[in-house]
Order: sequence, then C-alpha cells, then structure tokens
Amino acid sequence: MDSDCLSLLPAVCLVLADPKQAPPDDTSLEKLLDWFKELHSQSNGQVLLQDQPCLLEFISSVCTSETTDPAILSFTLKLTGLLAATKQGFHLLEEGGLLLCAFEREACYVCDLWEDASVRSGWLQGLLNMLKHQKSLDFICRNGLIKVVLQLQNDRSLFVASLANQLLVHILNFLTSSSTTNGSDAVGSSVSSLRSDWVSVSSEIMNAVVEALSSEDHPQVLRGLRLLSLVLSQCGEPIRSMLWKDVLVPLEVLIKRGSESLTQTLMTVLQAADTSARPVEELLEAMLGDGNRKECFQCAALVVKLEKCPEVSKRKATGIILLPLQCVSTQPQTEIETYLVLNEQLSQKASCISLLMQSLSSLAELAHRKFLFEDISIHSITSSVVWLLRMCSGQCPSSLLRINASIHLIGCCKVQRCGLDTLGALSVYEENVDLRKDIFGVLLDYLQSPDSHATVLKKTFQAAVRWIAVCSPFPDLLQFISHDLFPVLEKRMCDLRWEVRDSTLEFITQLTTALNGNSGFTEALHTSGMVSVLLSSLADTEGYVRASAVAAVGEAVTASFHHAATERNSSLLEKALTQMMIALSQDTEGFPRRAVVKAFTSWLKGSHPVTALESSLSSVLSLGGNDFDWEVKMHTLELAEVLMEKTLTCCPYIVQNVDFSEKTRLTQALSRLKDYGLFDLLFNSLLDCDRPVCEKACALLVRLRTLTAETADLDHSALVLNVCGNRWGDEVQSRYLNKQQA
Amino acid sequence: MKLYCLSGHPTLPCNVLKFKSTTIMLDCGLDTTAALYFLPLPLVHSPRLSKLPGWVSKDGAVNLEKELKECSGRVFVDSQPEFCLPEKELLDLSTIDVILISNYHCMMALPYITEHTGFTGTVYATEPTLQIGRLLMEELVTFMERVPKAQAATCWKNKEIQRLLPGPLKDAVDVWSWRKCYSVQEVNSALSKVQLVGYSQKVELFGAVQVTPLSSGYSLGSSNWIIQSHYEKVSYVSGSSLLTTHPQPMEQSSLKNSDVLILTGLTQIPTANPDGMLGEFCSNLAMTIRAGGNVLVPCYSSGVIYDLLECLYQFMDSANLGSTPFYFISPVANSSLEFSQIFAEWLCQNKQSKVYLPEPPFPHAELIQTNKLKHYPSIHGDFSSEFRQPCVVFTGHPSLRFGDVVHFMELWGKSSLNTIIFTEPDFSYLDALAPYQPLAMKCVYCPIDTRLNFHQVSKLLKDIQPLHVVCPEPYTQPPPAQPHRSDLMLELQPPPMAYRRCSVLGLPFRRRYERIHLLPELARSLVPSEIKAGVSVATVSAVLQSKDNKHVLQPVPKPAPVPPSKKRKRVTEEPPEVLNPKPLLSGAVPLEPFLAMLHKNGITEVKVEETADGHILHLQTEDVLIQLEEDATHIICDNNEPLRTALRDLVLRFLQKL
Repeated sequence: MDSDCLSLLPAVCLVLADPKQAPPDDTSLEKLLDWFKELHSQSNGQVLLQDQPCLLEFISSVCTSETTDPAILSFTLKLTGLLAATKQGFHLLEEGGLLLCAFEREACYVCDLWEDASVRSGWLQGLLNMLKHQKSLDFICRNGLIKVVLQLQNDRSLFVASLANQLLVHILNFLTSSSTTNGSDAVGSSVSSLRSDWVSVSSEIMNAVVEALSSEDHPQVLRGLRLLSLVLSQCGEPIRSMLWKDVLVPLEVLIKRGSESLTQTLMTVLQAADTSARPVEELLEAMLGDGNRKECFQCAALVVKLEKCPEVSKRKATGIILLPLQCVSTQPQTEIETYLVLNEQLSQKASCISLLMQSLSSLAELAHRKFLFEDISIHSITSSVVWLLRMCSGQCPSSLLRINASIHLIGCCKVQRCGLDTLGALSVYEENVDLRKDIFGVLLDYLQSPDSHATVLKKTFQAAVRWIAVCSPFPDLLQFISHDLFPVLEKRMCDLRWEVRDSTLEFITQLTTALNGNSGFTEALHTSGMVSVLLSSLADTEGYVRASAVAAVGEAVTASFHHAATERNSSLLEKALTQMMIALSQDTEGFPRRAVVKAFTSWLKGSHPVTALESSLSSVLSLGGNDFDWEVKMHTLELAEVLMEKTLTCCPYIVQNVDFSEKTRLTQALSRLKDYGLFDLLFNSLLDCDRPVCEKACALLVRLRTLTAETADLDHSALVLNVCGNRWGDEVQSRYLNKQQA
Repeated sequence: MKLYCLSGHPTLPCNVLKFKSTTIMLDCGLDTTAALYFLPLPLVHSPRLSKLPGWVSKDGAVNLEKELKECSGRVFVDSQPEFCLPEKELLDLSTIDVILISNYHCMMALPYITEHTGFTGTVYATEPTLQIGRLLMEELVTFMERVPKAQAATCWKNKEIQRLLPGPLKDAVDVWSWRKCYSVQEVNSALSKVQLVGYSQKVELFGAVQVTPLSSGYSLGSSNWIIQSHYEKVSYVSGSSLLTTHPQPMEQSSLKNSDVLILTGLTQIPTANPDGMLGEFCSNLAMTIRAGGNVLVPCYSSGVIYDLLECLYQFMDSANLGSTPFYFISPVANSSLEFSQIFAEWLCQNKQSKVYLPEPPFPHAELIQTNKLKHYPSIHGDFSSEFRQPCVVFTGHPSLRFGDVVHFMELWGKSSLNTIIFTEPDFSYLDALAPYQPLAMKCVYCPIDTRLNFHQVSKLLKDIQPLHVVCPEPYTQPPPAQPHRSDLMLELQPPPMAYRRCSVLGLPFRRRYERIHLLPELARSLVPSEIKAGVSVATVSAVLQSKDNKHVLQPVPKPAPVPPSKKRKRVTEEPPEVLNPKPLLSGAVPLEPFLAMLHKNGITEVKVEETADGHILHLQTEDVLIQLEEDATHIICDNNEPLRTALRDLVLRFLQKL
C-alpha cells in the first residue's frame, strides 16, 4: 500500500504547495504526518528524501512562498523536523539550505505568519522532531534558536508554551545523554561533564528558570516553576543538581512569601525533586508552616498524597490536614483557638466546604494506606467523621461547637458524599469496630432520611458494605440488618428515583456476597420478606433496575445453595428460574438479559451443584446465543465456557465409575455438552456478525479440539461423528453455506 | 400606622393594618386545631367510640361523664368540634373597611368576621380563592351537619373545672372563645361580600391607598398583597412558594422597596423538604399496596392533593401498581377536581400551555377517564358497591375528627397491613391519632408543605430588601423541638418585629409626604426660579381642597366685583385682601466673603466667635452683633436704624430672593 501512496506523493505535494488551493483540514494533515512518521520509523536507514525529491521541492516552495497558509506551513515545519531526524536527512536538507530556510527565525517572521499559534507550535514541534542527533543540537545552538524557544515559553497560547517547555527539557536531556554517549563522565555532578560549547546552552536555559522564579510577575513565576518541575522529573545528572543548587534560594523566597495559587505547582516541584533530600525536607517544612496560613492546608493535602516523603513532614501534614475536621466536629479546645486563619475560613461557606473536603479526602487517602496515626487516636478521628456526618444531616446540636459551621453544612451533598467515602475507608482500622453502633447509626440515618440525595445514598451503601464486611463476626450485626436495615431497604426499593432502587439492589447483592455462608443472614433474608421484594423488583419499569434485581435474586439463590435444600429454597429457585427465563426471552432491554446469563454463569461456577439448573441450561444457551445483543451472546459463551469446564473436568451429574476409560468419560461429557446445545451455540457463534463473539466461539472450539487431541486413546473420527454427526470442518462449512443461502 | 394581630398562628394569620385612614384586615385564618380536643364524629355508628367510658375525677368530685370521654389515657370532649377564632375584642370589627384574602386556607374564619359583627366592608380575593374557599367551607359545614350532635358540652370549660382536667385539655387556652362551625347561610352571606380581583390589578381604597394582589405561587389563585400610598409601601407576604408545582410562580420583583414587609405563612415543617416527602409518600404507599394493604391519605380536598395525584399518576405505573384504584371521597370532590381544570390562567406556564393543545392541565382527568381515580361525595351510595381493595383513599378531614376519614380509621385501623400517610402539615399526627389508640395500622408522617422555608425567605429578603420586617414570634427563634437549628429562624438586620396574638404594633415609619395636585391654571401661573442645579422653587398661593383623600391646589378665586350697593357690607363677606407676598430668601451667608464685604464698607473691627449653630460677629466700634446661623440671621443693633438697614442689605447681597 505504501508504494501506491508513495507514487501519489508528488501530486499531493503539488496540491499542498499550491496557495490557490484551499488547505485541507487539520485532521488530514495530521494523518499525513502520522503516515510519514510510520514510514520514517520503518525506513531502516533509507532516506525518504533521496527517493522522494518532490519533498525537498515542496519544503522549499512552502517556506519561500509569501502566501502560504499557516496550517500548511506548520505541517511543513513538522515534516522538515521529522525528515531531519536522521543524519542523512539532516545533511540533505542543510545542503539545500532548507533547514535554515524553514527554521531560521527571520524566515518565520515573514508575512506575519509567526502570529499564528499553529505556526509557532509547528516550529517547536519540528525542532523537537529533529532533535535526535548532535548536529541538530548544533544547528539550534548555532542559530541562536534557544532564545526564541525561551521566549515562546511565555507564549500566550498554552499549547505553544507547554511545547516550548518540553523542547527545553528535551534539549537539556539531550545535552546530558550526548555527553554520556561521548564517553565523558556524565554521572559526575560537575559542569565539566558537559561539552564545553554546550555549557553555555545549559546555563542559558537554567538562568532563564532562575530569573523566572525571582520575577515579581506571577504568570512568569508559574511558568518557571512548571519548567523546573519538568526538568527535575525528566532530566538526569548533572543538570538536576546544577539547577537545584541555583533555584534553592529563589524557591525559599517564594515559599516564605506564601501564595495560595502557587502551592500546587510548588508541590509538584518538590515532588519532582528528591523529597527525601534534606533541603527538600526543609522546604516542605517551611511550606507547611505552623498550620496557621491559608495555603498550608492545600500543601498538607498534597504532602499526604506523596509516596516518598520524610516521615516528619508527613506527620506534620497529617496533623494540619485533620485540623479543619477536628475544629468543626469536636468539643472546644483551647489549642484550636490559636488557628485564626482556619477559624476564619471555616466561617465562610465555600472555604469551609472545600477545607473539610480536603480534610476528609486526605483522611481517606491515609486510611487507604493504613497510615498509623500517632498523636491522635483513630477512634477520635472516626468519631469526628461520624459527628460531621450527623451535622450534615442537621442532627447535631451545633451549640456545642465553637465554630458555627453547621449552617453551611446542613444538607451539603458534597461533604456528605466525601464524609461517607472516608467513613467507608476508615473500616480498615480494626480498632474502629468498637464504634460500630455509632457508625451504623449514622449510616442508617442517611438511608432513612427522605432528603438524602441519590448519590449520597449510593455512597452510604458503599460505606455500609465495607463496615458490614468488617463487622460480620459480631452477633449484633444480624440484629441490625434484620431489624433496622431491611425495613429501610424495602422502602428504598419503592423509591421514586430509579437510581436509588438500582443502588439499593446492588447493595443487597453486595451484602449477600459479603455475608455468603452466614446462615443467620440467609434466614433473615427469607423471613423478612426481602426475597419476595427482590422478586417483585424483577418487574421494575427501568431496565437497569431489573438487571440489578436479577443479580440480587441470583445472589440470594446462591446464598440459599449453601444450606440444606429446604422447600423454601427450592421454591425460591423455581420462582427465580421462571422469572429469569421470562426476562431472557422477553425483556426488551439488554441489561436484564445480560444479567440473567451472568446469574446462570455464577450459579454454575459455584461449588454447589444445582441439578435444578440443568433443565434450563439448554434454553439459556439457545436464547442467549440467538440474542440480538452481542454482549448477551458474549456472556452466553462465557456460560458455555464454564459449562465446558465443569462437564469436561469432572462430570458431577454422572456417577463416577473407576472403570470408565478416559475415552468413555470424554465421550460422555461431550455428548452431554451436545445435549445442552453447546455445539450449536459455538458453531452458530463462529459465524456471528460480531467479531468478539466469533473470536470467543473460535477459542472455545479450539480448546475443545486440543482437549480431544490430547486424549491419547481416542478415535477421533468416531468421537466426532458421535458427538456432532459430522466432521467439524464440514459442519462449519455447511452452516456457513446455509447462512449464505438464508 | 398600626398593626393589630388577631391571630398568633403563623400560617393562619389574621392581622389588621391601620394605614392612612383605612382599616385593612389581612387574611382571616381559622385555627381548627382546637378540634383535636374533641371526639371524632363517626359517619356510621361506632361501637368502640360509643362505649368509651365517661370521665370522672379521681376523687369522684367532678363528674363530666356526659361531656368528656376517656380513650387510651386521654380525655376528649364529646361534642361537636369547635374552632379557635381570631381575637374579636382587640378592635371593633365593624370598623374594618376591607379584608384582603391571600389564599383559600386563610379565609376559613370569614363568616365569623363578616356576620354578626357589623362588618360593612368589602372582601377582596381572586376567583380561584373564592371558589375553592367556598368548597372548603361547604365541605366543613357538610362534615358537621351530617353528624348532628344533640348536646353541646360547655361545663368542662368552666375555669374551676378545666383546672382539674387532665392534660392537654387542662392547658387549652381561650376555650370560651371557641365556636361551633358556621352554617351554609352564613357562608353564602360572607362570600357575597367578596369582590374578585386579578393579579396585578390595582384597587383604590377611598383614594387613600392602593392594594394589589400578586401571585404567590402557593396554591391556585394565592396572592401576596401590596398596600401602598404615593410615598409608602407595605407588602404582605402570606403563604408563598418558590417550588415548581401547579400554581403560577411567585411574583417577587414587585415586593421590592417596601417600607414594611409583613411576613407570614412560611413552611410549618422547615426540616421536611417537599421533594423528599413526596418520595417518602410514594415509597410507603407502594410498600403497603405491594403487601396487600390499603393506604389512607387524610387531606384537604384542594391543594397538595392535585400534586399528589399527578405524582402518583407517573409513579404507579413505574412501580407496577397500575391497577390499584384511587378513591377521592369528599362532598366537594367532583367540584374540586373540575375547578382545578378550568382555572387555566392561574396555573403555571407548563400547565397553561396544555390548555391550548387542548388537553386538561392536570393528569387527574386521565386518571378519572381510565377509571383509576374515582370520586364520591361520601362513603354512602355508589362508593360502597364499587369499593375494591387494596386501594388508596384520599379523604378529609386531616384532623381525623370529622369527615369520611373517621370511617376509614375505624375500618382499617385494626390491620397492620394498612397505612395512614399524613401529608397535611397543619395537625400533629400523634394528636390526630390519639382517639384511635390502640392502632394497628402503620402511620407515616410525610408533611408536604411547599411554602417558603427559611433559606428561601432569607434569600428573598436579601433580594427585595424591605426596610422593616414584621413576622410572627415563632419565626424569630429556632423551632422548640430543635433548639440547635439556628438556621431555622429569621436573622435580619434590623431584627424583625415579632408579634403574637393580641399584639398591637406601631409600625416603625413615619409618613412624611403627601401628594397634592396642582390644577393646570395654577401651575401656569407659577414662576419657578432655580436655586441650584435641577432644583427650582416657586411660591404658591392657592386654596387647598381635600376630598376623598385627594388633595388639590386650586387658584384663589378672584374677588367678586363689588356690587354697586350702598348697603354696608358685612366684614365677613369681604374677600380676603390679596397682598403681594414678601420675597422669600434662600442661600447661606459665607463668613469670609461677608467679612470682606464688611471691611469694604468700612467696618474693620470685627470679632468672630464660633458657636454651635454658626458664628457671632461682634462689630466692636459700632457695638453691633450679627448672628449667622444655618437657618436664621439676626442683626442686633440698638437704635441705629440706618446701620441696621445697611447691614441688612449687605447680608441680602449673599442671598437669593424668590
């Protein structure tokens, strides 16, 4: 194909270079460039330019024309860079004077084309593409292009500025890597390890960074910090240490000055620097301050997230980030009175909410890593979260609190969601199980409250599942579930909002999974009437809810498998099977049908054989295989896979006889699969219009073939004929022909 | 300007505003909670109620067996329920000029005010308010008259006896002012005094003030009122809602720039969000029906019921309860459902536009068409033959003391499968249920009150910025049950003026201006002179005529030509002598230039003394004092008239003459 395209290339170049033609849209130019890139990477040293002289003409005509469209010029610059990435290409272009023509700054100013951001971006991208060998770097240095790149760092277009930063980092990297390849001592931290003519280049760039950091102009400082963090994270030695040494003082000044809008970027810089190094630790310390500055909370929140961080800083940050939470939700403490800034921020709605969210999400982050709190007990932290959640639902007497933040917090969904997430995360601390009564109390309040937003309820359910899983050994849990939780769930399943009904059903499914094997729970599920509510939810008007109901019923049935087959259990299974088969054959939406097939798969996967399923399996395979939703078909093939595994590895439905030969066993298993209609499913799916379905079916057939091939004493022709009445190849062919004719 | 508060109930207000020679009653709500002290009036003989033991004091000294019955440890009055009327003694009700009604719930005491008090004024209300108010009154009367009680219990009201009764009867206040329900004749007579008004219509009252109803968004035809003169504006905000329900949205901008805003009718359940409650209502209803039980919804026959039916219309299908019948039982059920469909212009935009399709604005029409909603005037008649369970019954009265609801309480109360869902916020559900104890049926409290909550009202007040706010006392403190919720009260600067029953408030603003018209011929004769940029003044000599609270300046009538008569004229008949008025002076005498002027005129020795109001100049040689003050200048000069005149002329040089 490439050769066809190459033959068209001269004509394409002519069209592109023709200023009278309307320029093609950006996407097609990008695609063309991608094609060039691919070609370039495959060229194996062959130089495209040599074979395609039209490209040289094209570059020359575009760069010298005064009426070039900016888009075409930008494209040409990128292309030129790409072509100059190899030494030969570079040589050819330089020889023709084309490189200078394209990249020399004066050339670009012609016709105000430079004013167009796409041209500037193309120029930078071209240089970036080119920078693959020393000559290209020499070219950049020799022509004083570094200055232009440094200027572009402050470009009004964010894309251009960011590209300029990337290019600068790339140049610095290139300086060090070239030195290494040159055999000089690159690991050493002295400047001498760089080639002497390049020292000036690196110091030019680094001086620019230092200058930017010392500037009074906020945007310039920000740009300097961005470049600094890029250099620190992407460049090697000696550049890193050289730069770090130079910026330390301006960084200290910046941190001392304290500006909230710089915190995030400063932290990125510190993160990019080695956070365990002593100076960085000191800077971190300075940023966190004494916890009485506006920006220290954001900083603390970022420090908490750092993976590599000095323990001291992390402890300090943890102390600071927990302050807002403690301040709002604990009894008055004289100590807290000293935090004037915090108090002031908590008295304003927007900052109060954002501080608490930061506090809560940092706490969740810490809990996620099971951080060991030292100065403060996890009990008191958890109690604070519970208290805050109570306050958010308007239950806590705020008169007990010194800061009257409750007015901002009552009914605030954001804090509620965040708090519930955090409460869920705190379940990892075993000590907290002592607080389970309070925790379940507040969760229940949220579930009961008519004002709880659907998303808040969802978070409540998520937190509840985590806590229930943790508290499952305690006997009072069942009491809570059957007396308090189930009535609320029953009501929530009749909620006006389908989202709530859906998440309630999901919760019940998760709950049943989490308490799998707990006979008391299964008993409660049945006696409380939950099962019948679940069954009635199968007829919900919303497809998503029906799908969740199918999953919940499926899980309830699984739970009942664990216990002796009682009349109640078999009646549940019977009802569930009937309704699920109706759903699979009649439901107008895909989700419930997918859920039905998945439920069958999960039943089959379970360790308890369920003979009652057998009669339905062939219908499920046939209905699922003929569904018009490709995902249902995929799930059906997954079901078929499990069925194959179960049937072929051990056949639970056949009385094992030691005398049976391998061959007999396999033949019997295969014929059982045939009875289920598995082969029909696989062969039909092989010719399905959806590719993933065909692939899956094919994979399963291959697996079957391998298995039969491995069985040594098997007469293949007999087996195949017995099972399918036809050879597989012939079978596939005849089905294909039938399908074609149809 | 004064405000007489005849009711302390925040949502059933009755206040009288005296403003510029007019006496305006703002709403006349009837507090029906007194009915909770009475036994229910069963429609069908109730063996349970008839067997309740009479009350005798423990020591047997007081025996009120006939009047009071005991039920589950509480004592109820066995008599026709009575209501607590607005205060009648605070001012003479016959002096009331007009009554402004803001919504149909706030007019239920109208017959008590307009009948038998000597009231001769006019009542202003919108058409839906009148019509639905009439329905509610007729319903109330029917509920009472259907179950006549032979005797009226009065002995228990005796102070000495009441003191000995158990609570809460012991603590009931003003029991002697409680009255039985009015009659249909009184309702008709009261409503005949209503004059209909439309939103934004300006109604002149005696030329003194103008009253205008504005949409308040709470119920069909509900309004807030603006009462204004040329220079003063009082806004009366009664039940208002910012939620999108069926009525026209609330008009807020016209409330701006009020001197006083009287704020009543905020939500009674500030902690219950109507959306959440509607959700609770639906899920509890679905749960009960799914379990095979019936749902009883005690409610008023107009108002939230329309929204409930609309919500259920959508919900029942989605909850797979499509076949469950709804019954709406009320003597006025049919009219209420039909009226709601014909007041299109009073509905929200969404519903109004349906009328042009043409479709009925409310979906309950479809529910009726498809036989899902059936309405009956009472449980007697067709209902008993068509009644099918499980079902949902909407019926009154929400107090559970009278109306068809009493029958359903007796019928369904024994089964735990059934549920009663309270949606009206006016009554404490625990008190309402007291005479039905012990009760097996489930009770759910989902009060749906769409009126403004504290959050909305503080935002509204921030927008419209009234100078002063007057409100019922409960709004100035957190709810007694939740003393920690400081967000559930009005916090304003300056703090609102709170009233309670029988308060008389002097409203804190003085009238400073009055508009006077100049007749054109008089205006033509004026010679304005500009005293500073944009301000011109002129002297006017005219005759002021005040009639119907309108003031007109007319030219002074010319003296009639003296008839050639030799008779001696009587002095009194002489036309007043018209003198050219002395010129009026304006401006200020600036000190420094004045001193310079004195100096120029040979007065050099001047001692200037600063005083609180200006300066005193002592011309030492001449021994003259000149007092220069902001609004007066005095020249004190003994026996030297020429000098005084000269000084006067110097002063006059700095002043302008009119």
